[in-house]
Amino acid sequence: MACKNWVLVLLGVSLAAAASTRSGTWINVGLQGIRQLEAMRTTELYEVGASPLCANLNGLSPGQGRLCQLYQDHMAGVARGARAGIAECQHQFRDRRWNCSTVEDGTVFGPVLGIASRETAFVHAMAAAGVVYSVSRACRDGQLSSCGCSRSGRPRDLNREWIWGGCGDNLEYGYKFTQGFVDVRERERSYKRGSREQGRSLMNLHNNEAGRRAVVKKSKVTCKCHGVSGSCSLITCWQQLASFREVGDYLLDKYDGATEVRVNRRGRLSIRDPRFTLPTANDLVYLEDSPNFCLRNLSMGSLGTQGRVCNRTSAGMDGCNLLCCGRGYNTQKTIVRERCECKFHWCCFVECKTCVKSVDVHTCK
Amino acid sequence: MQGTIIENLSGKKLSVLVSLLVIGQIICFLIGGLIAPTPASSQNILGTQCEDIRVNGSEPGGGKWFYSRGKGACSSVNKGNFDLDDHYLAHQVVYAFQMPIPRNNRQLDYSRWQQNLIGVLQVDIMYHSQMEIVPETRITLDARLAYRNKGDPDYAWKPYAASIEERSLDCTIDLKTDDYIYNCSVVPLFELGSLFHDYYLLNVRLPADTDRNINQGLGHVTDLWLTVINQNGGFTKVWVSLKTIFFPIIVCVLAWYWRRVHMLSRSPALLEYMLLVLGSALTFLNMPLEYLTLAYDMPFMLLLGDIRQGVFYANLLSFWLIFAGEHLMIQDSEQRNSLKCYWRHLSAVGVGCLSLFVFDMCERGIQLRNPFYSIWVTDIGTKLALSFIILAGISAGVYLMFLTYMIWKVFTNISIKRATLPSMSAARRLHYEGVIYRFKFLMIATLLCATLTVVGFILGQMAEGQWKWDEDLELEVTSAFFTGVYGMWNNYILALLVLYAPSHKQWPIETSDSIGEEIEFSRLPTDPNEMLSLTAFAGKTAVE
Repeated sequence: MACKNWVLVLLGVSLAAAASTRSGTWINVGLQGIRQLEAMRTTELYEVGASPLCANLNGLSPGQGRLCQLYQDHMAGVARGARAGIAECQHQFRDRRWNCSTVEDGTVFGPVLGIASRETAFVHAMAAAGVVYSVSRACRDGQLSSCGCSRSGRPRDLNREWIWGGCGDNLEYGYKFTQGFVDVRERERSYKRGSREQGRSLMNLHNNEAGRRAVVKKSKVTCKCHGVSGSCSLITCWQQLASFREVGDYLLDKYDGATEVRVNRRGRLSIRDPRFTLPTANDLVYLEDSPNFCLRNLSMGSLGTQGRVCNRTSAGMDGCNLLCCGRGYNTQKTIVRERCECKFHWCCFVECKTCVKSVDVHTCK
Repeated sequence: MQGTIIENLSGKKLSVLVSLLVIGQIICFLIGGLIAPTPASSQNILGTQCEDIRVNGSEPGGGKWFYSRGKGACSSVNKGNFDLDDHYLAHQVVYAFQMPIPRNNRQLDYSRWQQNLIGVLQVDIMYHSQMEIVPETRITLDARLAYRNKGDPDYAWKPYAASIEERSLDCTIDLKTDDYIYNCSVVPLFELGSLFHDYYLLNVRLPADTDRNINQGLGHVTDLWLTVINQNGGFTKVWVSLKTIFFPIIVCVLAWYWRRVHMLSRSPALLEYMLLVLGSALTFLNMPLEYLTLAYDMPFMLLLGDIRQGVFYANLLSFWLIFAGEHLMIQDSEQRNSLKCYWRHLSAVGVGCLSLFVFDMCERGIQLRNPFYSIWVTDIGTKLALSFIILAGISAGVYLMFLTYMIWKVFTNISIKRATLPSMSAARRLHYEGVIYRFKFLMIATLLCATLTVVGFILGQMAEGQWKWDEDLELEVTSAFFTGVYGMWNNYILALLVLYAPSHKQWPIETSDSIGEEIEFSRLPTDPNEMLSLTAFAGKTAVE
């Protein structure tokens, strides 16, 4: 009961917020939307008429709101995907100055997404990838009934008797649905050619595509021979999803190698430095340099790195030198209890010993 | 052998016939490529982790089924990956696979046109640096299969098969990183020879037993995926239609052929018997028995299909051997014209086909009783299966040696005879020219068919091998290959039956037995212009 009240309060808050800002992002589905969905499932409001989720959720563009109404059964998948995207972003950036921290409003990440930086590129790609992944999974689970091939090749559907020919690959469906849902907000408004807004829109479209492709790229093809006596005269192949962590790692690689672009007068993206190679559809692009996220600057969405735990011996981004931006660090001796020597028992539990260690914890000044 | 139609057919008629067959061939190919869908398609189903809430100790089994959709669906353990700290017991987690999964807003149901269903399991095991698994683990599955038909209530699942199976799981990982998924080999789970019912449900448990070391080294299993492969109904329809067309044609031609052979005064030659047997084997293959599966549950269809193909190819291979043997043009061998003198060659075919048959019986025969059975899962079974296949391979090699040797011999004989042809009497020359022509015609036709089959097969493999992502292929290569090859061998046999039937231009001569003696007497004919006796002589030597 307390939970429900809390949701109501939250709905109220988001309604008020929706009126005041339009800078929200659809990724909010994965943050606030998922709570609403869970609350709805427990109260069995789900599937009744117009979903209050779509109306109340802050961050959806008008087109996305319509799609949300149209594909209500997909929204749980979208929400899970967006949440997985956020969680993966936080995992990938756990050691970086900006650690993908979220705030409780429709913008999810605060003003960071307002800057057309590498981080924004990564977040968009990650969220799109999460939705592709999650919708494909939901298809294979049998929970979404509209999955299938929207391929407009041979009109197979005309002949209902033509039993189940064509492709049955749900990864493609996930890709297509995500394309429709995520990209629609960038296509709703027309921008002045060559303007900053148009560049931003193009950048988002490019990065969304890169995210979607990452899932496809990381999936593996598996085949099975089943001809006469099991020979390979007949062979059937299908796509097998990789773990989402693999997709995240792949996109982090793309983040590190992202290309800076600018929008030209013809309304196209072109690379800023001609010495670099052209980015492909799998690569991330960004328009502006990132802030350094060293100091707390809430107007930019930077929480600063003060108080963050760093690794004294590391030379990477999590090293104290880089993470603390040269401000130095405090060292504190603490006793840590952690699980060790784990043995996994099927099914479903892990037997671990508890190891007690005394470690030095370094935090940024 | 009696002079055959092909020797007496005018070039014009022959070309008309051949072009008719070629047109038929092209039609067969196009039917497969343009009308039929791909032969098989698959659905990839993610197992729903159902919670078996029954009290600890109640045996899994009984009439309780877990399904994920419809009224009374199970409550799932956890939507995402369940936490490692959930204290579920192994038998309390049931992976439910309800097939088919819906598509395009339609609740699909299996059609009997789809003929068969193959289930393949994939296990997602997450890598954790603290609990690596050995590359080859054993996985024990408690698998139960149920079915339901349209109109049945959602809970009315009826048991179909159940088995506890052990399979080996080869898992590798390239990049040992936490939360990555092992690259595990697919586990063949079941094969249903008939798809008689509308819906199927698979419940899989992974029982755990520390004492007997069952499923102990399994690691963190996150998901089970089931891929079900079914033949496409559209493909079956096209396939059965082809059979329905070819079946009566071949039966009629066969009857015509045999009547013709019977009209001869002599008893039929070995080669004529062989052609008859070959035609019958093709008729057996052509018989559209698939219609019966629409009304009856016939789980043995997969096995029967294999047997039918096996019988046909065994006969085809034997026919080639005997055809080459009968065209050796050695006059003195009295033993020709009987199967006995080919026993060495034919035993190669026999042993090969028999070992494949035994292998198939061990795999698909036992699957009739237990669809989860596979010969490949145990070490002994794998060795046995491999030995059968190797034996078949050796016989194939021996057969090829025999065949090439015989063909080479025929060609040397041909070149010897060629050299002496001008010096021969007209009758002998006609006879030998006929033999050479018959042989060459068949050689070319056979080589063409075999090459086309091999090329088609390779093309089909290549088209399948590269996974097309967004390219829409207009031609269904695999289907075209299947219908094309099927039509081709039908046309081939059809042509053989028609062209190698005894020619009626000679049979009036042989109405009386005395003529045979006369011709024996005139071994070196004195009157070369007497056409009738010449051709009769040719026939006589051919019989020898």
